[in-house]
Amino acid sequence: MEMLRTEFLGKKVSSPLVLPAGVMGMSFSGLHFSAISGAGVVTSKSLTLNSRTGHKGPVIAEFEGGFINAMGLCNPGIEEGLAEINEFKKVCDKPVIVSVFATSTDDFIKLTKYVNTSKGDFLELNLSCPNVFDEFGIPLAASKEKVAEIIASVKKISKLPIIAKLSPNVYNISEIALSAEKAGADALCLINTVGPGMLIDKKMVKPILSNRTGGLSGPCVKPIALRLVHEVYSCVNIPIIGMGGITYGDDAIEIIMAGATLVGVGTAVHYRGIEVFSKINEEMKIFMKEENYANLNEIPKLEKLWTKDSHCQLQK
Amino acid sequence: MDKRFTLPIAKIVKETDSVKTFTFKHKIDAKPGQFIMLTDFEGGEKPFSISNCSADEFSVTIKRIGEFTTRLDDFCEGDLVSIRGAYGSSFFISKKKVLLVSGGYAVPTFYFLSKVLLANGADVTVVNGARSKEDLLFVKRFKKIGVKLFNATIDGSFGEKGTAVDVAGKLLKNENFDFLYSSGPDLMMKALQNICGEIDYEFCFERYMKCAIGICGNCTMDPLGLRLCVEGPVLPKEKVVQLTEFGKYHRKPSGSRVDF
Ligand SMILES: Cc1cc2nc3c(=O)[nH]c(=O)nc-3n(C[C@H](O)[C@H](O)[C@H](O)COP(=O)(O)OP(=O)(O)OC[C@H]3O[C@@H](n4cnc5c(N)ncnc54)[C@H](O)[C@@H]3O)c2cc1C
Ligand SMILES: Cc1cc2nc3c(=O)[nH]c(=O)nc-3n(C[C@H](O)[C@H](O)[C@H](O)COP(=O)(O)O)c2cc1C
Ligand code: FES
Repeated sequence: MEMLRTEFLGKKVSSPLVLPAGVMGMSFSGLHFSAISGAGVVTSKSLTLNSRTGHKGPVIAEFEGGFINAMGLCNPGIEEGLAEINEFKKVCDKPVIVSVFATSTDDFIKLTKYVNTSKGDFLELNLSCPNVFDEFGIPLAASKEKVAEIIASVKKISKLPIIAKLSPNVYNISEIALSAEKAGADALCLINTVGPGMLIDKKMVKPILSNRTGGLSGPCVKPIALRLVHEVYSCVNIPIIGMGGITYGDDAIEIIMAGATLVGVGTAVHYRGIEVFSKINEEMKIFMKEENYANLNEIPKLEKLWTKDSHCQLQK
Repeated sequence: MDKRFTLPIAKIVKETDSVKTFTFKHKIDAKPGQFIMLTDFEGGEKPFSISNCSADEFSVTIKRIGEFTTRLDDFCEGDLVSIRGAYGSSFFISKKKVLLVSGGYAVPTFYFLSKVLLANGADVTVVNGARSKEDLLFVKRFKKIGVKLFNATIDGSFGEKGTAVDVAGKLLKNENFDFLYSSGPDLMMKALQNICGEIDYEFCFERYMKCAIGICGNCTMDPLGLRLCVEGPVLPKEKVVQLTEFGKYHRKPSGSRVDF
């Protein structure tokens, strides 16, 4: 695995592949199964202060290009969730990202205090869940002021480096990314699911998801992910975890070229099985050997197609 | 691709006071042990094992338990439901002398399994457990296909008095079986595991399912992280013996652990 070794925010990582939040991350054993299958870093389900049952089913539906899902942020709550992470750390030393979700700065601060006492390696602020609109309204990641306020407050007390998970469903991603960086984010993670969208059952004339709508993931969102990662990469100086539709080694290489340091693989766990991580690791190595790239740093980045000023100007 | 199909219920058979079999005219590619997800788009999508399957139809046998299954209990022939699947692992098909031990609403899965085992030349013995005579499922159907059937009721109102595991214990002592199958509550299968000795087996588990396609991680079993909707619900002995949560706890829809 020499070729795929890298560093992320000071931690050694055996592969750039990340198990993203909400995928296989409900239990220590789900995290472990993903880690031993080749993920270099694993992320917990987004944890909230209190446990959440999530939406009623159907919570996920398939279409040609991928899936829509609205799980409804089901999770056992921060205390039990951190216990799962600590248990994972007993059996595996790969880095863990603790994902947390809240709707107010106060609650994010409370969550951070819990995470400070855990064995997690990074703290990811999920500012971008599109599936709890009825309950909480527009995701926080839509407002650069809110993003800055939350990150700055969390930064003051967090013992762990902070990753901000951003929404693709905004028109001014660079502004939001810059505002997160300025407020103290150590890294960015994008993209969360796109849309949200809707699917209809034509016999019963009903939306398939009980939540009516759900965020898109899978191959159909890859072009959006590549564009957004590159746009953000062009503007900020902090590392990016790029994700969205990454299914094969080629996709992973492309998102690294767009600007990602680490690469999330979520929905592809369905398409290619849990072995997807080892498969993509191998496929990346084959491409790197063909192109004579000795390690990940040698994979060239796309020439920056946006600049901080020009783009933020345009977005205003 | 999408395994969803929406269709009318072709036939409903009332099995007991709280159990009904729903049959659908649809070709489904399913093996014994696999399950489908069923919804009425009124909130809730639930896993049910396939209890019978032929070239152009399949059935599920459902016990009325909570909100969703109570709503389903009011459905009539011709009413539409939406189904996706079949999902999950299936039972190994032995050609030898096998023992099937099951109880409650998990029994009908073993009707489908028995048919396939018999077609492959296996010598099939079934232990069918229930609380009392009125709760026993599929007795006539099992007899008709020609398995050796042992009924066990806790209250002794039909067949032998005792649990399915009690009866299985006697059979395992007196006869030599090559393979053991079990499906039912954790505690029943745990009791069976404790008395079954060296015999090779497969157990069919239940855990809370949401996506059923191996993404959400709600149905994983500790410490292996096996997803019961992909690597399960049927697990081989070499995996079962490693499961620390087997017979101890399971996870709620929130992911919180609860003891059995
Ligand atoms: C692989 C598998 C196969 C199954 N096969 C059958 C079958 O053939 N026949 C049958 O009657 N039942 C079967 N079940 C159980 C069935 O899914 C539940 O009885 C049903 O979901 C209850 O829903 P409810 O709303 O009526 O009850 P609730 O009040 O919601 O729940 C009652 C209990 O049912 C179980 N349950 C509820 N929702 C789910 C879910 N999404 N996934 C798993 N368990 C759940 C839980 O143990 C819960 O405590 C199977 C379960 C699994 C996992
Ligand atoms: C079933 C499911 C649940 C998810 N839950 C979360 C979550 O709790 N928190 C979060 O930040 N992102 C969540 N996501 C988004 C993923 O982490 C990821 O950003 C997105 O799916 C894009 O990657 P993919 O196409 O590889 O799946 C979820 C995605 C899916 C499919
Ligand atoms: S139900 Fe989602 S992984 Fe099994």
